[in-house]
Order: sequence, then structure tokens, then C-alpha cells
Amino acid sequence: MTMRLFYEAMWIQKAGSPEEEYEDAFWPRRSVSGESRQKETFAIADGATESSFSGVWAKQLVRAYCRGRIDPLRTNTSLLPKQRGWARFVGRKPLPWYAEEKIRNGTFSTILGLTLDAGSENGRSGAWNAFAVGDSCFVHIRDEEILSTFPLSNAAEFNNSPFLLGSNPESNKDIEIHIQTAKGRWESEDTFYLMTDALAAWFFREVEDNGTPWRSLRDLNRDLPFRPWIEDLRTKKQIRNDDVTLYRIEIE
Amino acid sequence: MAYSAEISRNNPSCFLFLIDQSGSMADTFTGEAGKKKADGVADAINKLLQNLVIRCAKEEGVRDYFHVGVLGYGANIGPAFGGALAGKELAPISEIANSPARIEERNKKVDDGAGGLIDQKIKFPIWFEPTSSGGTPMCQALNGVKGILQRWLGQHPNCFPPAVIHITDGESTDGDPGQAMSDLKALSSNDGNVLLFNLHISSNANAQPIAFPDSSASLPDQYSRLLFDGASVLTPFMRSEASNHGFNPSEGAKCFVLNADLVLVIQALDIGTKPSNLR
Repeated sequence: MTMRLFYEAMWIQKAGSPEEEYEDAFWPRRSVSGESRQKETFAIADGATESSFSGVWAKQLVRAYCRGRIDPLRTNTSLLPKQRGWARFVGRKPLPWYAEEKIRNGTFSTILGLTLDAGSENGRSGAWNAFAVGDSCFVHIRDEEILSTFPLSNAAEFNNSPFLLGSNPESNKDIEIHIQTAKGRWESEDTFYLMTDALAAWFFREVEDNGTPWRSLRDLNRDLPFRPWIEDLRTKKQIRNDDVTLYRIEIE
Repeated sequence: MAYSAEISRNNPSCFLFLIDQSGSMADTFTGEAGKKKADGVADAINKLLQNLVIRCAKEEGVRDYFHVGVLGYGANIGPAFGGALAGKELAPISEIANSPARIEERNKKVDDGAGGLIDQKIKFPIWFEPTSSGGTPMCQALNGVKGILQRWLGQHPNCFPPAVIHITDGESTDGDPGQAMSDLKALSSNDGNVLLFNLHISSNANAQPIAFPDSSASLPDQYSRLLFDGASVLTPFMRSEASNHGFNPSEGAKCFVLNADLVLVIQALDIGTKPSNLR
């Protein structure tokens, strides 16, 4: 069986930074309207500000996850080729002393992956499974209600030093206790919103204040242009100034 | 809420190092046998600057999240950078990164990922060499810092408050510096008061290393107590960072260390997501 999906990623870099300093990543890169698929995987990632070349690492991670090259059961082993790829990328040319020292510490990123599977049913329902390290989150909405959130579920859980996937194998020694996985069922007309931390924290705060933030996310790039909306939230100090990525996935 | 301003290239903060270069710094200190206090000061400031530069480094270069100055006091009082930075009261951190006097290679023990340690060669830039001559005009030096920061705050009224890192053996020769420290801490941006960190390098045989105490009861002498009294109180964010690094500072813990490492101060500034597994 197949399912019909409408999906679109929206993103904006941190205020005060040029676009090329955007260090989140998402995959697939192209938006799709109404394509029928048997199985589709989505991923977003958030490269850490505190490390160099974290945007490159985040991109490698989302692409690898969506191509099935990161195995949640053998994360460290399956990451090795990506880690070597990152090291090759950053080692291409001589760097000043501080850049060398920074790279020695490796780089870091969150990852959140979601796979929707139409299974063998009638295309009106199916299974999902998810994988996360760090604080990028999704919410699953059905009939104007939050059905599930993953991996975090309230605003107080966000802090400035989450455990992240590192490009140095020794940074990931304790990774098993930080990997989160989940699975569930989807039905037609469900929506999933994948968000990096600043937007996810805003979402949960709105919910905690009895708001319905999914309505705003639903209207984005339709009645409500995404970038001015984020800029307005920043001006009103309702959202932390950070790169923001939203992946909206609607099932027909 | 105080101490919550974003530190960014559009709204940078400021670090001012105040270093004691007086004659008494030629004495040995209780940290390492045979090591002069002046060597301890030079090591401390080179390490702090190295950490600050690395924190601000990104792939395209060093981002100017901070402007940095170093004021020395001893036979003279004045900006203590040499080379291309000579005479500057404050310089963007990217200029400091690109202007060390020399770069040494040192060995560092690092985790080999298999339960052991291996030696790794690291680059260690040197901006300062040990210096010691003249008296200890601490009051005058603190007033000099106040003048520099007043000018900075006039130009950056919304900045995360400047931090002053004062490294000394505490033996002021121009009077009690208590008032000058209070005057310095009274300066403020719209985000809070200037933070004064005192790093006491002591020759006192009873001086055990101490970091971020909340009382002066266990300090060995009047110099330590004076520097403890003059230091600011740690901000809540700094306290929580200190806890992540194995300290356990109480609510009244001061920005004071005795013969101990102050690198935590650099780590405890919020310039973006810092992974918990980045060490």
C-alpha cells in the first residue's frame, strides 16, 4: 500500500547571522505535494554553535539517516564512515592554531528521524517509528489534539547542554543511554511537526499556557509567511534567538 | 532578569584581565615547587585567553563575541599586550587570536577511547611572558580598569556585563583596594553589574587550593580574605555550569579562587548550545 503525503521544510538562520551560518539541517530537501509512497523517512538536525563545522555534520547525519545508514541498534559502528567523512572534510587545508584545536574536540549535532510506513493496510493508517539524540522534537497531531511528542514533552526539559552526537567516536561512549526511540500508529489526516529546539520550546510553552500552537504551524507558508512570523516571535522575545527548522508532514 | 543578555557579534561582551606584575611575584607559590608566582600568572592568563579564543572559533575564523584587554600593574600600569596589540586597551578577540607572541607545542594527556591515556601534541599560544618588578599599585590599577569599562559601557549599554579577571598575590602597596573593588562592581550595563573575579596566587604555606567558596573562614591570610570580600557573587548560570564541572558552589559562592584554575569562568559564559559530551 501507499500513503499520500504533503511535506515541506521551513527554516531561518539566527537573527544577526548571515544565511550561510545556518547550522540546522533537514532531509529530504525538496517539498512534496501529494506524492504516494510506501515508506518515507524524514530527519532534522541541529549543529551545536559551540563547535566548528557543525552544519556540515548535521547535513551528513540527516542524509545518512534517511538513506538508512544510521542503525539505531548499532549507532556508534554505523556512524564511523560519517565520522571519517567529516574528518576528511575539515582536514582538507591547513588551519590556524585555534581552528586546529577546535576541530580536535570534534563537532556535535542533534538528530531526529521519523519514518512513516504505509504497511499492508488500506493507506488510511500505518506505523511510524522515531529515533532521537538531543533536543530536536516532533509532535503528532490528530483532530486538533496532541497525540504524542518525542523525545521531549515540556518546556522545562530544554537546557543549553544536551548530549549530542559527536564526530569523535570517544565523544559518543555513553551514547546508548542517550538514544531515544519510539513507535506508534498514524491515521490519515494526521500531521507531524518536526522542530529544532527553539521552536519546540516555544510550542511546549504555548501548550502549557493552554494555547493551540499547532494551528499557527498549520498555517505557515499558507496564510502566515514563516520567516516574518519567526522574526515577530523573536522581537516579542517569545522564542530564543537560534536557527529554526520546522518540517511539516501531513498525511492525506 | 540580570545576566541574560545574548552575547553576539552585534552585542559583544568584554573581558578585562588585570595582572599583578610587581616584584613580589618573583617569589615562589605553593602551587608547584620552585615555580614563581609570575610564572603562575603568565600560565593562567595564556590558558584563559587560549580558552576564550577557542570558544569563539568557528570554521570561518574567530567570532567577535568579546573584546578583551589586559592591564598590567607593577613598576608601571598600562596595557600589557606586546607585538601588534601593544598599547591597546581593548581589542576584538579575533585580533588577539591572530597575534600571539609565539606558539609552543605541548603534550596533553587525552583519553584514548579505550580506558587509557595517550599523549597528544597541542598548540599552546603564548601572549605573555612572566614579568615581575616594582610595587603593587592595586588601587590605582583597579581605578584604571574602571575608566576603561566606563568607556566600554558607554558604547555598549545593553551588553552582557563585562568580566574583570584579576590575578594577583594580593599584597597591595597603595592602600586597601576594597573601595576600588566596590566601585568597579558598581558599574553596570542594562543587564547587570560588572563581574569581578579574583584569582589569588599565594606563597602562604597554609594555602590549600580553593574554588568558589561562600565564606572566608578557611582562607589562610588577610590577602585572601580581602580578595574574597572584593569578588562578585557567581551568577546562577555560572553556578550551574560549575556544578556540571564537578564543583558544588552554594548560592552565596564568590567569584574567587586560591591557587586554582579559573578556566571555568570562560566555560561558564553562554554563547550557544554546548554539548554535555564536549570536554
